[in-house]
Amino acid sequence: MGRSCEPLRIVNRLNVLRAEHRITQEKLAKEVGVTRATIVAIEKGDYNPSLGLAFRISRYFRRDINDIFFVEEEEK
Amino acid sequence: MKRLDAIMLKVFLWGLPVLAGWALFNHIFDTGLAASPMRAVYNASGFAYALWMLLSVYLGVRLILSATFRDRVLARLTFIRERDEREALLTGRATKTTLMTSLAILIFLFCLSCFQVSFFKLPPGEALDGKTRGFSLGLKFSLLKDFEANRTDTALRRYDVYSYDGLPVSSSAIILLLIVWQVVSYNCTMRRLTRQG
Repeated sequence: MGRSCEPLRIVNRLNVLRAEHRITQEKLAKEVGVTRATIVAIEKGDYNPSLGLAFRISRYFRRDINDIFFVEEEEK
Repeated sequence: MKRLDAIMLKVFLWGLPVLAGWALFNHIFDTGLAASPMRAVYNASGFAYALWMLLSVYLGVRLILSATFRDRVLARLTFIRERDEREALLTGRATKTTLMTSLAILIFLFCLSCFQVSFFKLPPGEALDGKTRGFSLGLKFSLLKDFEANRTDTALRRYDVYSYDGLPVSSSAIILLLIVWQVVSYNCTMRRLTRQG
C-alpha cells in the first residue's frame, strides 16, 4: 500500500479558538447544531467532523477551514 | 400518515406488556378459566390479541418500506435518538455490532439444530461386535418439517441413555430471543460507544 493510502491524522485548534473567543463547548455545540459530546470528541481528536460541520465551525469562527483543521504532518 | 403511524406504534408497544401479562395469567390459571364467568373477558382478550397481531403485520410492512419510520421505531425501542452526525456514525457501528452478533447467534443455533448426539444401549440379542453400548453422532438438515416426521425409522431397537436431537426450544422462543437480543445488543453497544466519546 502506498503512502498516500495511509489514514491521515487530522488535528484541530478548536480548543484554542474557543479559548480565544471565550465560549463554552456547550455554546459552540448549540451554534453549530451538534451535541457537546461531539465538540468534546472533536477536540480530543476522537472524531473527525464531516465537511459540513467543519465548514459550519470555520464560518462560526470566521476563519479559513485550513486554519482550524489540518493534517498532523503539516503542523510539523 | 405520520400521526397514524405514531398512534399505532404506541398501541403496539403499550400492548406488548399487557398481552405478555395476560398470556402469563392464562398460563398460570389455564384450567377452568374458559368455563368460568370470565369467559367473556377471555374471548375479548383473544380478539384484542388478534387485532394486535394485525397491527404488528402493518408495522412490519411499514418498517420495511419507510426509512423515517425505521428511525422512529429505533428511537422508541432503544430510548436513544440520533442528535447529530457523530451519533449517526455511532448508530452505524452499533448496528454493525448487532448484525454480526445476531449472525453469530444464528450460525450457532443452526449448528445446534443440525446436531444429533446419542448415547445408547442395545438389547443383548442385537449387540454389535459384542458391544451393547454405543454412541452416535450425526447431522441432519431438512428444508421441510414434514419430511423428517414422515420418515420411517429403520434404526436398531435401542434404549437411549442420553439423546440430543436438535434444539430443545420452540421456534417462537428462538425468534423472541433474537428480537430481545437485537434490542439489548444495540442499546448496550450504543451506550458504550457514546460513553467512550
